[in-house]
Amino acid sequence: MAEIAQQVRDFLSVSAPFDMLSPTEIEHLVKGAELMYLTEECVSELTHNISGLYLIQSGQFSVVDSNKGSRHLSEGDYFGYPAFLDRTDYSIDIKVDNPGLVYRFSGDAFTFLLEKTSVSHFFNALQSNSLQHQMLEDSNSMWLYRPLREVVSKAPVSISKDTTIQDAAIKMTEYRVSSLLITEDEKLVGIVTDRDLRSRVVAEALPYTDAVFSVMTNTPASISENKTMFDAMALMSEKNIHHLPVVKLNTQLPTGMVTASDIVRLQRSNVLFIIGELAKAESLYSLARLSWQLPHYFSAHAKRVGDFDIAGKILSQATDTMTRKLIGFFQEAHGKAPMLFAWLVYGSQAREDQTMGSDQDNALLLASDPTPEQADYFKAMSEYVCQGLAKCGIKLCDGNIMASNPELRLSLEKAVEEAKRWVNAPTGDAIMHFNIFLDARCAAGDVSLFKQLQSRRAPLLKQSMFLAALARHTNSIAVPLSVFQKFVFEKGAKQKDAIDIKVRAVALINNIARVYALASGISEPGTLARLKSIDAGSGLSQKDAKNLADIWVFMNRLRWRHQLSQNVTDNLVSISELSSIEKHQLKAAFKAIDRAKQAMVLRFSGGVG
Amino acid sequence: MSFFRAISTWFKPALSKEIAKRTLGEFKFLAADLELTSLDASEAHITSIGWVEGRLNCIDISSCEYGVIRTRKPLGQSPVIHGLTNETVDDGESIEAYAKKLSALTLDYIWVFHNAALDLSVLDRAYQKLSLTPVTVVYFDTLQMALYELKKRHQVVPSNSASLSACIARANLPDFPAHNALDDAFSTLQLCYWQLSNLGAKPATQLNELLHTGAIKAVTLGKAS
Repeated sequence: MAEIAQQVRDFLSVSAPFDMLSPTEIEHLVKGAELMYLTEECVSELTHNISGLYLIQSGQFSVVDSNKGSRHLSEGDYFGYPAFLDRTDYSIDIKVDNPGLVYRFSGDAFTFLLEKTSVSHFFNALQSNSLQHQMLEDSNSMWLYRPLREVVSKAPVSISKDTTIQDAAIKMTEYRVSSLLITEDEKLVGIVTDRDLRSRVVAEALPYTDAVFSVMTNTPASISENKTMFDAMALMSEKNIHHLPVVKLNTQLPTGMVTASDIVRLQRSNVLFIIGELAKAESLYSLARLSWQLPHYFSAHAKRVGDFDIAGKILSQATDTMTRKLIGFFQEAHGKAPMLFAWLVYGSQAREDQTMGSDQDNALLLASDPTPEQADYFKAMSEYVCQGLAKCGIKLCDGNIMASNPELRLSLEKAVEEAKRWVNAPTGDAIMHFNIFLDARCAAGDVSLFKQLQSRRAPLLKQSMFLAALARHTNSIAVPLSVFQKFVFEKGAKQKDAIDIKVRAVALINNIARVYALASGISEPGTLARLKSIDAGSGLSQKDAKNLADIWVFMNRLRWRHQLSQNVTDNLVSISELSSIEKHQLKAAFKAIDRAKQAMVLRFSGGVG
Repeated sequence: MSFFRAISTWFKPALSKEIAKRTLGEFKFLAADLELTSLDASEAHITSIGWVEGRLNCIDISSCEYGVIRTRKPLGQSPVIHGLTNETVDDGESIEAYAKKLSALTLDYIWVFHNAALDLSVLDRAYQKLSLTPVTVVYFDTLQMALYELKKRHQVVPSNSASLSACIARANLPDFPAHNALDDAFSTLQLCYWQLSNLGAKPATQLNELLHTGAIKAVTLGKAS
């Protein structure tokens, strides 16, 4: 075996997609490979028109390797692959902006590895700028909707139909199961449960030496493994059974078993479970006690990416539930409200993308200007609810965007007037301040009151001057990539390689979606819902909207995983927390956000950034 | 014989005029490293050897060689630093096999070491002991080059600033697992290219133009003194 320097192994082990290769494949890859120290002086001699797959370990280069123009590349970036994917002899031209180490793998080795789906998928996605999609395709949403073949992991315990009842019972005891599949020629023909042994054998005093098929349930209900857990639950309640065999679709060979206790176990570990529990709370004390378990609950149970996708929604719904419970507790003690009101929530709670670090942003909308007594009632209610939410772990807002602030307890008329003031003077500072109010939702109280506000505000917020100001404001936030596509890290952060995923990605997409939504008069506050509703006439194509939505989900997964795995509430994701492929995906995602941002500026502010 | 006396008796480098006129682009490079039982050249034995080849600014990754050398001598500090144990060393190859392989890689080659004096004097002793045909080697010492650079910047060279790890860190080259002969050789070759490019060396640069650094010399191994 050829010797491979540890440095080469180490670098390949963190370079997707090669981090997934077997030792033999790595050997194949490095055969004929070279590591070059590329400087201005030597670059043309070493690389001019030499095909192969190039991988940058350090340095910065401007590269032309296809008919698509020059790309600025740096650490971790590949080039040279388009010639192999397109089967075209593109010439390779490299300009050294900063000297560094570059690997060149032979065309033969690369072509050989392209036979592997994971490798070809990676490079094709790289070429089509769609790397950020890959992660989303990797898994479906929640466990409930995932195919049984992924959820049910244990192999079925089965026995042939001619075995004696006693041997069947012995096997059940040995495997600690409450049911046994009965097979003939490996195909499922029946099922025997604890209950059958009790009622059909012991109660009837049958000899244990009889064959098990005499007491089994013939042709039991079964479910194919491509169905979901949700289907299994539905079938089990319909048939009133506690054991459901899982079989292969075509062959009917048993592959597993779903039991009622599996469902209970999964149910408890389902992050949705907590909302039902919150709704049952009967006092501020029990509400707060349950709420404080939320972070623990999330970190214990939100393990799958599908859970991260809905975690923000669940947390927002949990906060809504807390709010409604608190308003209810207040009204029990102080009587009904003296007029119609709507409890409005803003920002992340409105968009339903709250995280553990989100603070409360809320306000009260009143049907009319209150009398002093009415004002006192709402003041007391707001303070009770805001303080109550704080006791439940939803931080008080540093910026005082809370219903307990008298300026945020406006009547409908006053709220509309305020919106007019925003639109007439859209300065940068003002936009910073009221961006948050543009994502609003009614979490409790009278929804129709909120709808009136929405419909009266909508035409104001559609005005092009205002949209232009919003677009310009968004353009002032840069994606964290240098001109050489290197990550730019947050200054002053504790970790040197941290990127604020909220500010640099999620908020940017939120802003872009908001501008298009306001322009189209869409009242939905959620970013995904907005992206889905925006029609092509708005200037954002459906493909781009879908792309942004995917990136938004990807970014949220990253920050949720960061918060839960690091036990923190910030959004400063360290690049070292990411897998190699995620780094590529993140870079691709930032590039796409940047393109969408530029397109938005062009559309709404005439290109004036 | 002390380390320094060993060096001074052996250290009679000369680069013939013909060789000095040749350009970097005409040579292949071979970076090598020896792991030794001691830092005293007069008593050190080789426990392992590693090398890698390339041409200017380019490393041929599949040219890596690494071998553990069979020795009966006490391992001294080796087990601690290089992770070699008596069992590994007993299973090793003889130094003769590797020395012969190296002899074949001298013509048109520049050997690269970090601290060439130590490794070359140990190799020289091995060549003499085994009565191998003497070979003349042109070599480049990255330690010497680092000292040349450091002396330009500091009146007194800071301690430890010329070690391989310190040089690699200064050059911003990748970290390497120190004290494995092959990995050290691999990093040494990168350091050599970095140093040469800092001097503005090109394939057309003659060895002549580098002599002032004291880093490039020639030596004959196995010539009885």
